[in-house]
Amino acid sequence: MAHQAHAYHMVDPSPWPLTGAVAALLMTSGLAIWMHFNSVTLMSLGLVLLLLTMYQWWRDIVREGTFQGHHTPPVQKGLRYGMILFITSEVFFFLGFFWAFYHSSLAPTPELGGCWPPAGITTLDPFEVPLLNTAVLLASGVTVTWAHHSIMEGHRKQAIQSLTLTILLGFYFTILQALEYYEAPFTIADGVYGSTFFVATGFHGLHVIIGSTFLAVCLLRQVQYHFTSEHHFGFEAAAWYWHFVDVVWLFLYISIYWWGS
Amino acid sequence: MAEDIKAKLEQYRTAPFDARFPNTNQTRNCWSNYLDYHRCQKALDAKGVDTAPCDWYKRVYKSLCPMGWVEKWDGQRDDGTFPGKI
Repeated sequence: MAHQAHAYHMVDPSPWPLTGAVAALLMTSGLAIWMHFNSVTLMSLGLVLLLLTMYQWWRDIVREGTFQGHHTPPVQKGLRYGMILFITSEVFFFLGFFWAFYHSSLAPTPELGGCWPPAGITTLDPFEVPLLNTAVLLASGVTVTWAHHSIMEGHRKQAIQSLTLTILLGFYFTILQALEYYEAPFTIADGVYGSTFFVATGFHGLHVIIGSTFLAVCLLRQVQYHFTSEHHFGFEAAAWYWHFVDVVWLFLYISIYWWGS
Repeated sequence: MAEDIKAKLEQYRTAPFDARFPNTNQTRNCWSNYLDYHRCQKALDAKGVDTAPCDWYKRVYKSLCPMGWVEKWDGQRDDGTFPGKI
């Protein structure tokens, strides 16, 4: 039987990159069809294909790493670089929305009344639900760190408890934010204030949901004994992502909710 | 005091350099003087004092602002939808 003479992972042929690309095509063209011809079929098809791709591709990665042992130290190093680079690209994504916010709020135009918040906008009190949200996310940063240490020290039950608590805090944030959205005295259509507020906080909320999902997958894997005290990169990647989401919220809170009010 | 203002208005040719607005984009200069004129009018009217000093701001904004903006803002003030604080 032939063996590789190196520690790297030559991945077996896989259909998921192709199905992912097809999903991207269907979602983008589906978006255009939805806007012009009032049909969501194509976009929905793309979305389903995307979800199937993500599920199967990541399932395969778990199989390759956890069950087949392909994630040697150099391979894991590559995965770390990959996650760091991805998170960096997300930082730049949010940077753009912060740029837009500061562009409009530092030099408010006459149409807004030359002031920020613009004339007629009643902002949310930063010391009410937004402050609670800040506390919730900061607490979740503590619990995810607790979970990490529990995993590293081999405390299975504590790891499960702290990871569950982290996910619950994430859900709590999402619910609170959804209620805020419902009750807000302004909408996305209310000038540049509405646009910058809802696009920036909206994408952040989406990332909270993505991060919570990632952590939930980690919880399922922890329950099924996938992680060892030495090797649990999936969890570390989820924790990095979660900290990133928390930091973005802190910037949002300081810039939009507090300074911008 | 009033004589100085009259003298200044008589010598007026165009809006002088205002160090508060040093850059090419003079939007804020126009906006600021438009607001200052109407605030001045409102404040001096309330006191029942002669509003002649306010004319300086009027001259400046009339020199700087595009007519379309002034007409739009005048219309908004009449409708009660002017976004600036007067």
